[in-house]
Amino acid sequence: MKITTTHNDLLERLQTVARVASTRSAIQALSGVQISAGPEGVELRATDMEIGLRTPLAAEVERPGEVVLPARLLLEIVRRLGGAAVELELRPEHQDVEIVSGTARFQVRTLRAEDFPLLPSTDGEHTVAMPAQAFTETINRVSRSASRDETRPILTGVLVSVDGPSLRMVATDSYRLSVKQTQLETAIANGFEANVPARALEELGRLVTTGTETITIGVTANQVIFHIGNVVLSSRLIDGQFPNHSQLIPEAFDHELTVETTEILEVVERISLMAQKNAPLRLSFTPGELRVSAQTPDVGEASDVLPIPFTGEPFEIGFNAEFLTAGLQSAGSPQVILKLISPLRPGLIESADGSGFLYLIMPIRLNV
Amino acid sequence: MPHVRLIVARCEVAYTGRLTTVLPEALRLLMIKSDGSVMVHADTGGYKPQNWMTPPTVIEEEEGLLVVRKRAGKTEDRIEIRITQVLSDVTHDMGEAAALEKDGVEAHIQEALADAPHFCGEGFRLVRREWPTDIGPVDLMCRDTADGWIAVEIKRVATIDAVEQLTRYLDRIRIDPAMADCRGVLAAQQIKPQARTLAEARGIACVEVDLAVVRGEREPELLLF
Repeated sequence: MKITTTHNDLLERLQTVARVASTRSAIQALSGVQISAGPEGVELRATDMEIGLRTPLAAEVERPGEVVLPARLLLEIVRRLGGAAVELELRPEHQDVEIVSGTARFQVRTLRAEDFPLLPSTDGEHTVAMPAQAFTETINRVSRSASRDETRPILTGVLVSVDGPSLRMVATDSYRLSVKQTQLETAIANGFEANVPARALEELGRLVTTGTETITIGVTANQVIFHIGNVVLSSRLIDGQFPNHSQLIPEAFDHELTVETTEILEVVERISLMAQKNAPLRLSFTPGELRVSAQTPDVGEASDVLPIPFTGEPFEIGFNAEFLTAGLQSAGSPQVILKLISPLRPGLIESADGSGFLYLIMPIRLNV
Repeated sequence: MPHVRLIVARCEVAYTGRLTTVLPEALRLLMIKSDGSVMVHADTGGYKPQNWMTPPTVIEEEEGLLVVRKRAGKTEDRIEIRITQVLSDVTHDMGEAAALEKDGVEAHIQEALADAPHFCGEGFRLVRREWPTDIGPVDLMCRDTADGWIAVEIKRVATIDAVEQLTRYLDRIRIDPAMADCRGVLAAQQIKPQARTLAEARGIACVEVDLAVVRGEREPELLLF
């Protein structure tokens, strides 16, 4: 294999794919980026076996071939090259690739190309076109609620459902649940439901730029494949029964309060500074007033007051400060509706603009 | 009564036996226990002594010299400690030794879950602890609200081996036609992801338990499900 490309192009494409390369796999080739040069052009590929990414590279192919090079090392090398053009040539007799740019020369040992897996592709028949911005905006509203705990793999995913003109994403880590229902401008013919790793969707969010209008989604039995322009992101799907979210949302609440999102968010973020080491954020509701307070032993305490249209018997409820902040930030509307029942029952944050965002959050017990 | 002697001294330590070593002169802590153990500590190197001899030993002491000897087969292990300056030499009466008490071992979890089997599954009631099978006892045998049998295997940290162990017990238990539908539950303070995957593939339920919660010492966390 021998190719010549521009420094800028190579750096940009490597920055995209290197993120996906594995950092802790026993298979060395998975820590690499595969450079495939053929008659159709050059493609860079990386995978950690869960997520895979393919991106084309504009290059002149002098000799076709495939090679796997250590992703992070290659990225660091390319980042520091000074020349405008970069030449990469496989030298099979040395089992390395010579990288030449300007006066700089590198010889980088190759990784075992035969260990690098084939990345999945769709047959083109079972794909749907989706407005990119609506899709990624929906991801951004829910993905933070997905669990990071690998011992419960089902909860590390986002349940993505497409049915006609409706796109719904649900994520939960059992402490909170996010639901975002997005109405699409046009109905999607081939609907689907799939539990997609939140990590893959967050990567997709990074790949979609403001100029991306449409993404194509293909779902197979155990894979989902996203086409973002000429970049292809694939991910395995998470197997198993996702919790039935509609059963978790209480049918009725005792208190419904509409508040300005920025006002309550500012207070919550401010007082959260004193809710360290898992200390709860206390919300004390009295007629016309919400007092937010926090106390961390050996650190200090803080409180602030917010006028709020609360009526009825005063009560106090505790929340995880980070989770409450995330819910308010994700609402994405000027006003939110806080729905509460009692100190030990879940509370609901709903966007007040009818944009279909729900955030159910379990309280923390307060020891008075 | 048992005594421990602690000497802080500037000394050189020479060991002869299966090999020969020398610790050049420096300030060290010498610990001599009533059972004959001798340890030479520096203020670095963690908990491990720089040199030591396990009992039974013979300890001989003369001016500026401490010799510790021990027979090792046909040869003799010998530590010679040449002391040039003593900064401190104290002996303490240690009284009766109390054994290390561990909490949170498997037996404690089993005991706690036997008293509160509902933490292993809704409506579970205990039939027997250490239910015998011909390949060993299963930790708890319970019945659910529909009178179904449930074998519970308890671990502190559940690995794939625990799943295999419970699978073997279930195979034996299910030979009895009356218990052919016996289900399995793996209960542990921590369940490894691989163990959970294998257990679920075999239809074995996994339950992570918090000992303090099971004992009623702490309220459980509030969860959506």
